Amino acid sequence: MTAAISVSGLTRRYGRQLALNGVTVDFEGASITGLLGRNGAGKTTLMRIIAGHELASAGSVRVFGAEPLENSALLRRMVFIRENQIYPEFKVRHAIRTASWFYPNWCGELAETLLEEFDLPTDRAIKKLSHGMRSALGIVISLAARAEVTLLDEPNSGLDAVARRRFYDLLLREYAEYPRTVLLSTHLVDEVADLLERVVVIDHGCVVLDACSDDLRGTATRVSGRPLDVEEFVAGRLSWGRATSRSHESVVVGGVLDDADRLWARELHLDLRTLSLQEMMVHVVDQTTEDYARETVA
Amino acid sequence: MSTLVKVVRYHLVKPDNLVFVPWAVLVVGFAVNVMVVATTFGGQSTIRYMGTLAALYLTFSVGGVTSITRALPLGLGLGLSRRSFYLGTVLTAVSLAVVYGLILALLQAIERWTHGWGLSMGVFRAPFILEGPWYLTWLMSFVLLTLLFVWGVWSGLVYRRWNLIGLWAFMAAQVIVGVVAALVVTWMGAWHHVGHFFVTLSAPGIAGVVALFAMLFLAGGFATIRRVAV
Amino acid sequence: MLDEATPLFMQIAERVSVEIADGLRTEGQRAPSSNELAIRYRVNPATAAKGLNLLIDQGLLEKRRGIGMFVAAGARERLLVAGRLRFGRKYVEPMVTEAGRLGMSTDELVALILEFGGAVGLPASKGSVTA
Repeated sequence: MTAAISVSGLTRRYGRQLALNGVTVDFEGASITGLLGRNGAGKTTLMRIIAGHELASAGSVRVFGAEPLENSALLRRMVFIRENQIYPEFKVRHAIRTASWFYPNWCGELAETLLEEFDLPTDRAIKKLSHGMRSALGIVISLAARAEVTLLDEPNSGLDAVARRRFYDLLLREYAEYPRTVLLSTHLVDEVADLLERVVVIDHGCVVLDACSDDLRGTATRVSGRPLDVEEFVAGRLSWGRATSRSHESVVVGGVLDDADRLWARELHLDLRTLSLQEMMVHVVDQTTEDYARETVA
Repeated sequence: MSTLVKVVRYHLVKPDNLVFVPWAVLVVGFAVNVMVVATTFGGQSTIRYMGTLAALYLTFSVGGVTSITRALPLGLGLGLSRRSFYLGTVLTAVSLAVVYGLILALLQAIERWTHGWGLSMGVFRAPFILEGPWYLTWLMSFVLLTLLFVWGVWSGLVYRRWNLIGLWAFMAAQVIVGVVAALVVTWMGAWHHVGHFFVTLSAPGIAGVVALFAMLFLAGGFATIRRVAV
Repeated sequence: MLDEATPLFMQIAERVSVEIADGLRTEGQRAPSSNELAIRYRVNPATAAKGLNLLIDQGLLEKRRGIGMFVAAGARERLLVAGRLRFGRKYVEPMVTEAGRLGMSTDELVALILEFGGAVGLPASKGSVTA
């Protein structure tokens, strides 16, 4: 199946700085993919180029087989409201009204429902909205557009925990009813982990991990206990993140641990704690990443 | 609804910068003129020309700048191509300029009829370029408004693409071009030719020259927007 | 919500299995749709669909063309049998191993089981009331 979004060798240079360095990744048709990474890793730049907002220095992007840059027919099928999006001197309702003209699948009732869900006052000037409310506005527009390619740039930024929960549920509900290609960049990996089919981790402009979130689950476990016991258990396995003291050692082990392994660990009086997706991501970014991706997910 | 119409509607959702501000500035300026003239000068028969109208043109030009700095980002975010946005924005300005030109022609007619608003004021007239029949006033206003708007748009685009340094370079380049042209003319000893050219040029002719510059800036803006990023 | 180690789709399948085993969903009754499961457990619909497919592969659900997914005949029985096997492996095996390490005989182990079983209200033999 041809991918909905196909990125190949994408590079973007700003003077001497490489924001994106030979990024190659595909995004399938109906899917929710998490675009993860630290600040300044290149996630937003990647999305901007996919949306045709920024130009590439080298490489190519294809959306539904065509180049998105200046391609009106294609751009109509995409929505990308950034974090810290610049709006004209609009009130909330002006922005909603304008957006409704541009998307063939726009659903006005959904927009109204979403505005209520997020308690967004339609008559307030956008520049007077709090950071969280601006994120909420971006979410309302992005979801009500029902665009085939929906790019969400840190959509939960500034939202409190309750609003974030509402957003995830709304996103799921909308996605279930109208499947689309969703790219979601965020720092709050664990909160969205269950929503994501795939995760793509970007660090310093490169893709350092590209895997199904299900495949990643349980593939890294922190083992702690007495140093000798830990070493015995860990021998021969891929391991990293070692922290040793005289009487205690803790190390992360790659690969899935089966029941036999767990039984053995119990016998050795070792403590096992599976790493969450967020912790895995932090490790992946912290250390030399290629090995991890190849050995654990293969 | 065609895409260009959508862009026009977008600019007119909250048309402060393109509609309210320019005319409000003019109204305020006009009121100030009236107060000043009425209180300081006595009755006069010759027309006193006032430059208040320039304020309208300049604020309309600023509207061109803000159409880029404030309206472009969301426009692209909602799936507009740069081409559509540019053409739609220019269409908006041209449409407004047509209407504004008519309004100015009307105001000029009223001014003539009331003999300068009863105070011999020449707000809606200017020597040579804004005298004469209403349709010439309309034509002149229309091209001048369009020129200034397109210049504002181009400046805004230059700023977005190359930041403050780029904007300074842009302005400097224009000044340099002007200076170089003047130097060339001086060197060729051709000032009287230039003077003669402008004197023999009728008002429509000048409007034509202005329109030419407008199209030049239009092309420049279009070339600049093609690689602008938001 | 869901545990970190097991693949999500397996956990979803597990939840639905439990509903069938507990008798909450009976033979011939409609299975939840992947969208329903996705929203209920807050997971991606594709993951939920994978879970349902796993249950179809295991013969616990059956797909009827054009209509949907339904609980297969004998699903509950099969789950209870599988559950017992799992119980044996997970709890009984370690239990007897540990008992051996403590030097207990089978009789002593059985006596212990009866004692604890009685306290919980487990019937001594199938069909009878508490021991």
